[in-house]
Amino acid sequence: MAGALTRVIQGSKSHLGIVGPLVNINNGSVRYQQTKTKFGPLADSDRIFTNLYGRHDWRLKGALKRGDWYKTKEILLKGTDWIVNELKTSGLRGRGGAGFPTGMKWSFMNKPSDGRPKYLVVNADEGEPGTCKDREIMRHDPHKLIEGCLIAGRAMGAQAAYIYIRGEFYNEASNLQVAIAEAYQAGLIGRNACGSGYDFDVFVHRGAGAYICGEETALIESIEGKQGKPRLKPPFPADVGLFGCPTTVNNVETIAVSPTICRRGGSWFASFGRPRNSGTKLFNISGHVNTPCTVEEEMSIPLKELIERHAGGVTGGWDNLLAIIPGGSSTPLIPKDVCSTVMMDFDALVAAQTSLGTAAIIVMDRSTDIVKAIARLIMFYKHESCGQCTPCREGVSWMNKIIYRFVEGNASPKEIDMLWEISKQIEGHTICALGDGAAWPVQGLIRHFRPELERRMAQHAAAHGPSRAERLY
Amino acid sequence: MLRQPLTRALALSSPARAAPLAVRRYAEIAPQPDKVEVFIDDKPVYVPPGTTVLQAAAQVGVEIPRFCYHERLAVAGNCRMCLVEVEKSPKPVAACAMPVMKGMRVKTNSDLTRKAREGVMEFLLVNHPLDCPICDQGGECDLQDQSMAFGSDKSRFTDIHFSGKRAVEDKDVGPLIKTIMTRCIHCTRCIRFASEVAGVDDLGTTGRGTDMQVGTYVEKMFLSELSGNIIDLCPVGALTSKPYSFAARPWETRRIDSVDVLDPLGSNIVVSTRTNEVLRILPRTNEEINEEWLSDKSRFACDGLKRQRLVTPLMADSRGNLTPVDWEDAVVAAARALRDCPPDKLLAVAGDMADAESLVALKDLLNRLGSENACTEQYFPLEGAGIDLRSTYLLNTGIANVEDADFVLLIGTNVRFEAPLLNTRIRKAFIHKDTDVALIGPKVDLTYDYVHVGESASIVKDLASGTSAHEVLRKLEQAKRPVVILGADQLKTQEGAALLAYTQELALRLQDKLEDKNWKVLNVLQRTASQVAALDIGYKPGVGALLSAGPQVVYLLGADSGVVTRESLPKDAVVIYQGHHGDAGAAIADVVLPGAAYTEKRATYVNAEGRAQQTLPAVTPPGQAREDWKIIRAISEVVGVRLPYDNLDEVRDRLSQISPALVTYGDVQNNNYFAQARALAQSLQKPVSGNLDVKLKTLEDYFMTDAISRASPTMAKCVQAVLKQKQSTY
Amino acid sequence: MSLGKYLALDKLSNFFNIIKQNGGIRASLYKMYRQDELKDGVLVGEDKFGNKYYENPRYFYGSNRWVEYSDKYNMDYDGSQVPAEWFGWLHYKTDLPPHMDPSRPKYKWMIEFTENMSGTTGQYTPYSTTRPKVEPWIPKRKSNA
Repeated sequence: MAGALTRVIQGSKSHLGIVGPLVNINNGSVRYQQTKTKFGPLADSDRIFTNLYGRHDWRLKGALKRGDWYKTKEILLKGTDWIVNELKTSGLRGRGGAGFPTGMKWSFMNKPSDGRPKYLVVNADEGEPGTCKDREIMRHDPHKLIEGCLIAGRAMGAQAAYIYIRGEFYNEASNLQVAIAEAYQAGLIGRNACGSGYDFDVFVHRGAGAYICGEETALIESIEGKQGKPRLKPPFPADVGLFGCPTTVNNVETIAVSPTICRRGGSWFASFGRPRNSGTKLFNISGHVNTPCTVEEEMSIPLKELIERHAGGVTGGWDNLLAIIPGGSSTPLIPKDVCSTVMMDFDALVAAQTSLGTAAIIVMDRSTDIVKAIARLIMFYKHESCGQCTPCREGVSWMNKIIYRFVEGNASPKEIDMLWEISKQIEGHTICALGDGAAWPVQGLIRHFRPELERRMAQHAAAHGPSRAERLY
Repeated sequence: MLRQPLTRALALSSPARAAPLAVRRYAEIAPQPDKVEVFIDDKPVYVPPGTTVLQAAAQVGVEIPRFCYHERLAVAGNCRMCLVEVEKSPKPVAACAMPVMKGMRVKTNSDLTRKAREGVMEFLLVNHPLDCPICDQGGECDLQDQSMAFGSDKSRFTDIHFSGKRAVEDKDVGPLIKTIMTRCIHCTRCIRFASEVAGVDDLGTTGRGTDMQVGTYVEKMFLSELSGNIIDLCPVGALTSKPYSFAARPWETRRIDSVDVLDPLGSNIVVSTRTNEVLRILPRTNEEINEEWLSDKSRFACDGLKRQRLVTPLMADSRGNLTPVDWEDAVVAAARALRDCPPDKLLAVAGDMADAESLVALKDLLNRLGSENACTEQYFPLEGAGIDLRSTYLLNTGIANVEDADFVLLIGTNVRFEAPLLNTRIRKAFIHKDTDVALIGPKVDLTYDYVHVGESASIVKDLASGTSAHEVLRKLEQAKRPVVILGADQLKTQEGAALLAYTQELALRLQDKLEDKNWKVLNVLQRTASQVAALDIGYKPGVGALLSAGPQVVYLLGADSGVVTRESLPKDAVVIYQGHHGDAGAAIADVVLPGAAYTEKRATYVNAEGRAQQTLPAVTPPGQAREDWKIIRAISEVVGVRLPYDNLDEVRDRLSQISPALVTYGDVQNNNYFAQARALAQSLQKPVSGNLDVKLKTLEDYFMTDAISRASPTMAKCVQAVLKQKQSTY
Repeated sequence: MSLGKYLALDKLSNFFNIIKQNGGIRASLYKMYRQDELKDGVLVGEDKFGNKYYENPRYFYGSNRWVEYSDKYNMDYDGSQVPAEWFGWLHYKTDLPPHMDPSRPKYKWMIEFTENMSGTTGQYTPYSTTRPKVEPWIPKRKSNA
């Protein structure tokens, strides 16, 4: 069968256009000059996910009551360009971590057809430690996602949507499947979806628990039944994606907010947050806070306000804070002084040498063994590295070995620079972003907690004599 | 493998290499879009769009290191060794996979690039055992060479003293390939070769991250007739040759370019020798024939050259036992037998691996003795055009052109085992060009999907007459470049002549309709390396009638396929066997004259497409064995009909008198006269009803087919291993 | 010096004595032919191969001990047919012939004495322990045909 698949892939390689990686993000920006200076809290009337906590009925009846599937037909009939334009106006950036402007991503799909079908793939493989936003959507608001699939599918002319759901999300997959069945029965999707004359199918595909399958091309490979190993880009999935056909991979949250954007207008969505960081966003706050929670908030809300308003503050008070990982485990941590002022949006966090990622805030107070915490994250990445490309396969496991020595201090201070260099040798040299994601936490640690590392080494040397690494290196 | 990693990109993509591809007549003639200008280290180069950075760099002589990239395999891009800096790109890009873009400025020697390479090299060495002194790849190892050129000068892998390196259990993938999986750098070349070229999805990876292992999923043999090529492909010593293990270092060996004779394709080979001993055989790149692959039999049967050899002349003593004698006695005895025999009772039979020089010498000797009874073991119908027209018995399309075909019809042949490298061409066409394949004959595994039309010979008749209702006929007629390949084994039967006639009719009917007038449809795939040359020289195909006439003296020139047996001869017949192996022929002989095998002589062979090539002596013939044509020349002198050539050049002059094609080495002569052959064949279109059958059906049939491979212990082990694997549930 | 000696008559008597001891004229001529010399002496012993050992102090030192090889060797006799135990006596290493020598232990591990077989079919030929580069074909023996 590999023969047949190779044929497909080979056959299509010859007519690849190149979608450059150097896309200027400004294209998708908002036309409104931002004048707002204060962000958040979000008014209840502006919330998109109104059943985030599962207090209401998640099934079709409840969803209809909350306004889902309302005039979906009209939205569909407004056509591709209108939907894409509305998304571009909204300034929605992908909620999966990379933050690529969604409107532009969808517009890549509207090249003249060459006869191949197009697919929408929804990335529901939410495996990033600390992140738990998509599961809330899927188990409490699945119809938002399904409606989003239909609208996104319409916008890019896709024939079907594949929702690749993380294998561990059993109940979520179950709810989602029930919701899809309801939608089919109600004629909302399937043949002549919502009476719009547009045929659209939604499939759920459960993964088998590999973190790497959250990478879009690995996810496509996995749906195709192969090992979940990222593909080389180019060609990008928009040219050669699922089953060799043009494909767009979007995060669950991105898809789930799109119906509301279409209903309330892109400019409504763009009115939240700073320019180029607009909209509302689900934040997951976990770790050493009094009330860990998932909450929808306006973008650009200050981190401190977010934690104190929704998560009941850091345990032991703000002064007890040690560091925060602001965007899921793969983003570099930021120490307390940065946390006090930083705003939660793409650009502000990049300025703070970290990243918004999936907006999964992991709070660590002073009781945390920060080196061990980061070491545990590296162990996770070492375990989840697919092993395909050299820097990630060899480099991350090497980092893992070193950092576990750092935990006990059995290392030379010179090795801190070496570890930094190794993480730089991994970052940007791999096929997918997992290598980057593994390198960043280490870089964050070294950037902000170097004295702590050196202290441990000195302590270990005092107790056990100089480390063997000291003598050897 | 001729592995020159550091110069490889240069050598393989230089204009010199591009030339044979460019002159290929049937290469895809797509409208050439405008070329794109890119800058490699500020040197401008114009390349077609879609070219990768690595290929573009090779065009200006900038060589980018690589491990996973291989020009004949799909791009994997996972070793990351080929990272280069591209201006305006924040990250270094993988040159092997990145298509060029207009105005791209690539820096292959910048600090960023060098740092990236050094980093990747460091990572590769983190878990690579430094066991070069006991590694068979040492001296021809890409990792060694590239770490010298691009690696860091010192190690900082302090963890060697804390946790050590990864160790991986070795896999048992059969008697040909030795695996030391700890050395694996996961470039996946072997996996890609197995699934793309060999068509056997046996290899793959299991596990993730550092636990990733290349292997066969379950412990099993790598069941392919091309498995040896993964040894060449492996850039490190993870996959090495089992028969050659711990035998020699590459700098100790002498390498002699030669030609393989174990299948009809005449693959180009390099014979590695040391102290007058053939150690191993590697493929030599020839785009027209074997690309850079080699089939397992051709590669590993070389240890058969050291077993069962005839090293001294033998003669039957009074009790009929063969005993060693001097050359003089043997030659005199042979000459006496030939001289005393009435010419019509004389028979000469040429075998599988006879070279053109000895063939012509033997035929000249017979002619001078007044006999015309020189024949080959393989039969070919003489009716119709017979062997008078060269095009009727050749692979006219050409091996390389087969991959440009859009429909291939195989009649009674299992190409996979009869000519493995022709099969890779068909498979290549099947995968990359959507070529469809149909097969008439027994169902066999060709490694790709094909339409099985049936087993009956009458299908060919229906197709030829255009009366078949099968979709294959429609597809054949619509094809722009159809290829029909007829297995020569089918011609042995009673219906052979008719089958050939129908095949000719079918092929030539298709050919007449083609737009491309140079495209040739008709192919006959011979089974042996000597057959084409023998037919060119004028040997009669098949021994049938001549044998039943009761010859008194039979001269077997390496005839070992058991066509001539003692039972088929009169009781008092004298059998003279000349050859290099003690096999079927020598066993029935009264006089045995030890000749030279193909690695021991400079000799001409003509492959199935009619391409003359020559072998070069890599070692001397063992013991008292001599070059074949010289033996015949010596006998002729004793008989009293001295052959008029004293050295090789004069023999080749004689060859060129017979046919200039025999000495135009490396070239294929254009063959035509198809129409005449067709006209001659039309009278032969008698009804056919039999079923087609092929000899080599499965892998275990493939390994031992001739005197050399039957003498090879490695081949015997392969057969055993395949049979054992067949019993396994996997 | 006696007259007989003066007239060399003792030589004559020796001559006759030698012929007599060697078994008459015919036997003496045969011995002369076989051994190129004819001596008289005391038979000291005989080894297990049938070689006889003689001694006669009348002859000069160096030729006063000799061996007469067993008849079974006929003309094919050579020095190596003298077994090791007689070799010492014959070459004046010892004056005690083996059967009278008490200090000649016989151990189990001592192998039988053999003569030098060089040049005969029984000779020792060293063989190579490396595998031949080329293994020749051994034709099958035909059964009695």
